[in-house]
Amino acid sequence: MSPPAARPQAREIAVQGLWRDNPIFRQVLGICSTLAVTNLVMNTLVMCAGLIFTVALSSATVSIFRTVTPRNVRMMVETLIIAFYVIIIDVLLGAYWPSMRANLGPYVGLIITNCIVMGRCEAYGNNQPPGGAFLDGLFNALGYTFVLLTIAVFREILGLGTFLGMPVPFFSGPGWDKWIIMVTPPGAFFMLALVVWFFRWVQQAGEEKAK
Amino acid sequence: MIRQRKFFPVLYMFLVTAGFSSVVIGFTEMTQERVQANARLALESAVLSVVPGAARAELAHLSGPAVHRRFTEQVAAPEASSGGAYTVRENGQIVAYALPFEGQGFWARIRGIIGIAPDKRTVTGIAFYEQSETPGLGAEITKPAFRNQFQNKTLALKEKPITMRRPGTPLGDSDVHAVTGATQTSVRVEAMINRAIQTWQKAVGTTDRAAGSPSRTGGAP
Repeated sequence: MSPPAARPQAREIAVQGLWRDNPIFRQVLGICSTLAVTNLVMNTLVMCAGLIFTVALSSATVSIFRTVTPRNVRMMVETLIIAFYVIIIDVLLGAYWPSMRANLGPYVGLIITNCIVMGRCEAYGNNQPPGGAFLDGLFNALGYTFVLLTIAVFREILGLGTFLGMPVPFFSGPGWDKWIIMVTPPGAFFMLALVVWFFRWVQQAGEEKAK
Repeated sequence: MIRQRKFFPVLYMFLVTAGFSSVVIGFTEMTQERVQANARLALESAVLSVVPGAARAELAHLSGPAVHRRFTEQVAAPEASSGGAYTVRENGQIVAYALPFEGQGFWARIRGIIGIAPDKRTVTGIAFYEQSETPGLGAEITKPAFRNQFQNKTLALKEKPITMRRPGTPLGDSDVHAVTGATQTSVRVEAMINRAIQTWQKAVGTTDRAAGSPSRTGGAP
């Protein structure tokens, strides 16, 4: 986990966060929320927006404090910073979008314990300048977002026959017997496994070709 | 130098916590009023949405302050004579009783309102203003497909004023279909509604069949 010699380019950070070291299918972090919120696309979108905000800003904030924070209390400080941003999201949702807060239930609060946030603060924010830390957090969260959205789109369409609450042709009709299991937690396990399998397969195929 | 001192991490932690906490507290304070207003508004819209007639049709187009104004104009707070229900009036006439109910759902507490016509027998609507059921499953109780079933049902004068039946089975005058894939939510909602209705029936005196109004026609089985 030693810092690289030169500061990596923004492009490099983006490729790593989105694809090469994608938090879901490479690092396999933050799986709990992946399973919990992906049964409706709308909920997933809001959850991901919250996570993007939290990871990017907390990683940058950890980075700002990195030179003064004593090593032995750094994880406490990180948790505090993460909790700070998450509570802000929760308060804002409660004040301006109460119906969405009601939909997401306890999951917003659980962003605090999302492994990706702590993972990025520890692995990057802790020893890199704030600008890079912000980008790293941003792209990792975006990497998380696109995988979650893939899962959510399939789960909502197969399970409920809708997309963002709107009926989808065929899947909402009588010809499709809705797979209720897709919107329940077991459905998330199946979908996650398939998605991870697919992306790793694509990734591996790309690596073989590059050789 | 202070950073070499043994107590520095403790002092540092204390300062950082105090700093971030005060910002959070400030934020919470700033939005406090709005949060309470939202909770209040959720209850008020729920009450108005179970009332028959013009109020319900217009509700979707009303802004927050307009909902609040209408609530203040038309709704009287629960009192002993209404059996703990809100009394909704239109032009001085009672148009419905809005009975609050609550109970444990599958994940957390469910709070809602059931509307009962002035005849004290006919359901005029149902609304849930606080629930954390599974989206797509238990949370379907908040959707029109489930809620509309309650309109014009008759409260049975027996153990269960409202009965939930398996989806697809034929329905009686006091029956509604449960939510597919959300047995727990359905069972619990059925129980909490019936508990509230029974208490209310006792309070307003509709439990005794013989004492019922003689002009009533076409009651429940």
